[in-house]
Order: sequence, then C-alpha cells, then structure tokens
Amino acid sequence: MAADQMPGPNEWAAAMQKTQDDVMRQWTEMANAWSKAASGVLQVPAAPPPMPPGGGAEVAQKFMAQFEQYLGVSRSLWDLLGRTATVQEPEQRTRVFTEGLQALQQQFAGLWGATAFGAPLSGAALPFAQGGFGFPGMMPGASPGFGAMFGGGNPFGFAAPGATSAAPWLSMPALGPAREQQEAWQKLTQISGRVAQAQMKLSSQWNEIIALALRELGSKITPQLSSGAPPGSVKEVYELWVNSAESAYARIAHGAAFIQAQSELTNALSQLRIAQRELLEDFSRQFDLPTRAELNSIHQQLRELKAALHKSGGG
Amino acid sequence: MPATDKSVPPDALQEFSDLQRRISGSLSALQAAAGATFGCSEKDAVYHEDKLTLYRYRPLAASANLPPILIVYALVNRPYMMDLQPDRSLIRRLLEQGLDVYLIDWGYPDGADRYTDLNDYINGYIDRCLGVVLREHQLKSTTLLGVCQGGSFSLCYTALHPGRVRNLITMVTPVDFHTPDNLLAKWVRGLDIDALVSANGIVSGDLLNAAYVSLMPFRLLQQKYVNLLELGDDQAAMENFVRMEKWIFDSPDQAGEAFRQFARWFFQENRLMSGTLEIGGRRVDLKQITQPVLNIYGKQDHLVPPDASIPLGQLVGSSDYRALPLSVGHIGMYVSSRAQRELPQAIAEWLRR
Repeated sequence: MAADQMPGPNEWAAAMQKTQDDVMRQWTEMANAWSKAASGVLQVPAAPPPMPPGGGAEVAQKFMAQFEQYLGVSRSLWDLLGRTATVQEPEQRTRVFTEGLQALQQQFAGLWGATAFGAPLSGAALPFAQGGFGFPGMMPGASPGFGAMFGGGNPFGFAAPGATSAAPWLSMPALGPAREQQEAWQKLTQISGRVAQAQMKLSSQWNEIIALALRELGSKITPQLSSGAPPGSVKEVYELWVNSAESAYARIAHGAAFIQAQSELTNALSQLRIAQRELLEDFSRQFDLPTRAELNSIHQQLRELKAALHKSGGG
Repeated sequence: MPATDKSVPPDALQEFSDLQRRISGSLSALQAAAGATFGCSEKDAVYHEDKLTLYRYRPLAASANLPPILIVYALVNRPYMMDLQPDRSLIRRLLEQGLDVYLIDWGYPDGADRYTDLNDYINGYIDRCLGVVLREHQLKSTTLLGVCQGGSFSLCYTALHPGRVRNLITMVTPVDFHTPDNLLAKWVRGLDIDALVSANGIVSGDLLNAAYVSLMPFRLLQQKYVNLLELGDDQAAMENFVRMEKWIFDSPDQAGEAFRQFARWFFQENRLMSGTLEIGGRRVDLKQITQPVLNIYGKQDHLVPPDASIPLGQLVGSSDYRALPLSVGHIGMYVSSRAQRELPQAIAEWLRR
C-alpha cells in the first residue's frame, strides 16, 4: 500500500458510483421483468409485484441492501487505512489510525437507524418489536399515529396524541362526558413517552457496542500497521470489522444493562400497542363495527365447545 | 468523508471492479434460483385436525422391521427443513435405512388459534396423531423423535404417557433454559409475556425471526448476504441458499396461549429443569421416562447450546440413555453433510440395538 501508488478520491468515488449504478440498473431490469411477467398473468398494473418471502426476489433485495451497507462500512474503513498508510513515521501513523477510528465511532453511532447501517443496528435493536408492533409503516416508538389514521384530524377533539409529555392536559384529571376517551389518550401519550425513553436507553447500548467494536478492530489492525503488513483487501478489512462487531455485541448483549434496556423497550411497545387497540376498539364500537374483543369471545366459546366434544368422545 | 489525494490503493479499485462482475453473476443466478422448490420425498396425508396434518412418507427401501418413527417438529419453523432437497434430507436418509416415518406438520396458526395452549398441543394433537400411527400399525407404543421445541414437547408427552412411547429421540432439544450462554433465554426472561401476548393475540413469526437473527446481527443481517457474492453464478449453491432463506423466514405465527406458557414456564421459570412443570393439570416428571432415550445435540449450536441439552441424561429415569453430540450447529443438524452422513445411520443402529 505504498502512498505514491494510490489514486485519488475521485477515482475511488467513480469506482464506487459505477458499481452501485450498475447494480441498481440490473436490479431495476430484474424488477421490471418480474412486473411484466406478473402483469401478463394477473392483469395488474406494471408496479413490481409483491415478493414472496424467501423467494429469489426477496433474497436479491436483501442482498442489495446489505451490499450497499458493505460498501459504506468497507469504504470508511479502507479509506482510513489508506490515509494511515501515507504517514511515514510509525508513532504518528498509529495516532492517525486511532484518531480515525474515534471519528468513525461517531459516524457509525450517528448512523443509528439510518439507511447506511440500518439493518445491523435498528434491525437488531428491537428483536421483539419487529413485525408485531405498531401500525403498518409506523416506526416503533413513533407517535401513535392516530391523527394520520383519521386523515390528520382528532376524532375526539382532544389534544393531538403524541404531544410532548410535558403538555398540561396530560396531568389533568379527565372530566365530562368524554372523560373515558380523554383518559385513554392520556395513557397512550404517557406510554409513547416511555417508549421514547426506552429507545434512547437502548440506543446508548448500541453506541457502546459500536465503540467497543471499533476498539477491537483497532487492536487487530494496529499491530499489522506497525509491522508494515496491513490488510490486503477491502474484504479482509470488512471481515475483521464483522468479527470485531460480533464479539463486541456478544459481550454487551449478554450484559444486564442491554437486557434491561431491550426489555423496557419491548414491554413499553407492548403497552403502547394495547393502548392503541383500546382506542381503536372504542372507535369501532361507536360505528357498530366488529372488534377484536368480540371475536375473542367467540373463539373462547368455540374452544369450550370443542373441548366438550373431545371429552364426550365425539371429536 | 474526508479523503486525501492519495487515499485508495489501486488494488482496491481492482477489487471493486471484480466485485461488480461477481454481483452481476450473482444477481442472475439469484433470479434463476427464484423457482427453487422445497421438500422432496413423496408423502401422504393420513390425518387432519384443525391446521395440523399428519404425513406418512412413502418407503424408499425394504422395511427394517422397526417400529415407525413419529417426528414432532417445533412450532416456530416449518418442518420441510427435515426434507429440504434430495441431498439434504434427514427424512430421506431415514427412509433409505428402511424406517417408516411419520411427521406432524402443525400448519400456520391464525387468529382463531389464540387460545390453543400447550395442553392442546401435547395431550391433544400429539396424542391423537400418535393414536393414528399406533392404530395403523396395531402397536401399543412406538418411537417418538422430537426436534427442538418439538423435543421439549416430546419429553412432556413421554413423561405423561409413558406407555405409548417405546423409544424417545430428542434432537437439538432444550431442557435447561437458564444456561449462561443462552442469549435468547436471557432476553426472554426480562419480557412482560402477558403484555406481549395480550398486545398481539397470536405472536408473529416475523417477530421471532427478528429475535433469532439478532443473536448475531452483523453476521446474519449483513455478512451472510455479502458472502453470497462468493457463490457467483453457481446455480446449485444459489438454489440451496434460496431454499435456506425461505425456511429461515417462513416462520408460522404462534398460538398466543401456547406461546405465553412456553415462554413463561420454560424460558423464564425453567420448570422442565426444576420438575415443577404441569401440563393439563398433571405434573411433568421426567423420571417417568424410563424407555430408551437418544439425545442428539449440536456442539456448535447457538440457538440451543449444548449445555441446554446435556442435563437431560440426569433428569430422565431411563437406565438406557445415550447422548450423541455432533460437530454441527442448529441448522447444520438438518442439512450439513456430516449430519446427513452420520445421523440417520446412528438412529437406525440405535433402534436396532
């Protein structure tokens, strides 16, 4: 990795851009082909059809998302190594590398939940909150979203849900003909606050994971730099990063602080969902629409009937 | 990203150029692999109840004249992993040993199953499926093979109905849920299970999957897909990957009550280990298991670590207990070439002994 052999950042950026463009072009062509095939069979518009879980299309989509992250992580690490390699004096080289890692720590941690590192971070942060919580399109911990559901209005005429937890109406006793509804909204908003707090707590755990992972990575690469034999490929650097990250994750995820933070968030999200459903059921009752509670009652009765049938030898 | 004029070695550009070529090949191979099929051995449905189907596999070799095997799979994944493709099928290898194989496919529970509990699964469904097998073969007892969570169910069933089980085989089966290396169990212990079930009714399979991949998020959510590049245009390898991916994320939702009981009684309270578990009002006493027991576990299993399976030998009342550790992980137990080579033969020999 001699400094005088290195091309400039423009070449690097161009290579990255070309790779990403090329991959996106292929992906688009593939999606269009699927769309065309589906529209022929199903007589649907040309929008890409929903992808069956685990099928080639879904795998390709995941593959693309992870590849973009791979590029992002690898580029950051490799670029740091490249800058380090330009420093002749060994001590100064180690210092540049260590400082660079610290800068990356902020960058990686700052990307919490963002696209570039979204999957390993946000995806892992809420294992019990994925898929089963919130309304479609609603991020866990976000405002409950009833306003948006009801076309932006508030069906009960109270302060908007998701208002800040310091809002005076939250601590007021509910009064009057609509006191039940007001109380429900207050509860919902308080739980939303708890979700936000729990999310911050878990985020700080993730910051620790990233910090520890980069320290571990540094401890692996620094001796290589000192001995004049740095990692020879982008892939090698990436593998070192993944190993370091998993090792750091394992240490922290087994710890009491992480477990508590994750539990608090999951439990708060459960409570949020229960509160959301209570409001929704109340709204449904006002329009004489069937509710989950009614269905549950029927399921219970069916279960009892079935048990009685089995007991009498008829089932 | 700040960069100097001399920041990137030429090799890196070459590497990205190569990468671009490999991505192109991989995407084409992925596209072609979209039609990969799952499950390979011929079978007949012999019993239905609710969402459940009991299958009997058609023979592939002369009968070994051994009692039939009833496979009790876990609720949390689909059982076709046992018969994924011709060269990765434990069931097929068992059939080639001349064994008669039945399998319970639990199906996909939905909102109507929210009150189905462990008593329904263990004293209800398993018991009735076993009854079908015993009637068909005019036997009083036969071999039960429980896999993962299905292994825990099989232990409960055998302890409660010892007269109906001649041999018990447990595979990657957790018994002790409080071992230090069991990350999933540590996480579950802090959860408000009542709230979780109350909030969801039935518990989403996607939610469980998120938990599983979160055990090793950097590897399972990212590196796995980056490594796909190494497969290039190897069509067969790509199809294997797609099949595996399908299985991993094809997770049925969980009946709410059964999930609540399993999470609380097994994961949080470790009742199977402490001997305090009750199913359907009856205590599950593992000392009642006096029939021969073969306990198969993976030495590299991160979902059911070896320490979670090993204590079984001390808990059962059987004097004919054998532990069979294999150098594989959880999924490797179903599909690795080592397991394909060693496991079916070991099972057949153990049954013949």
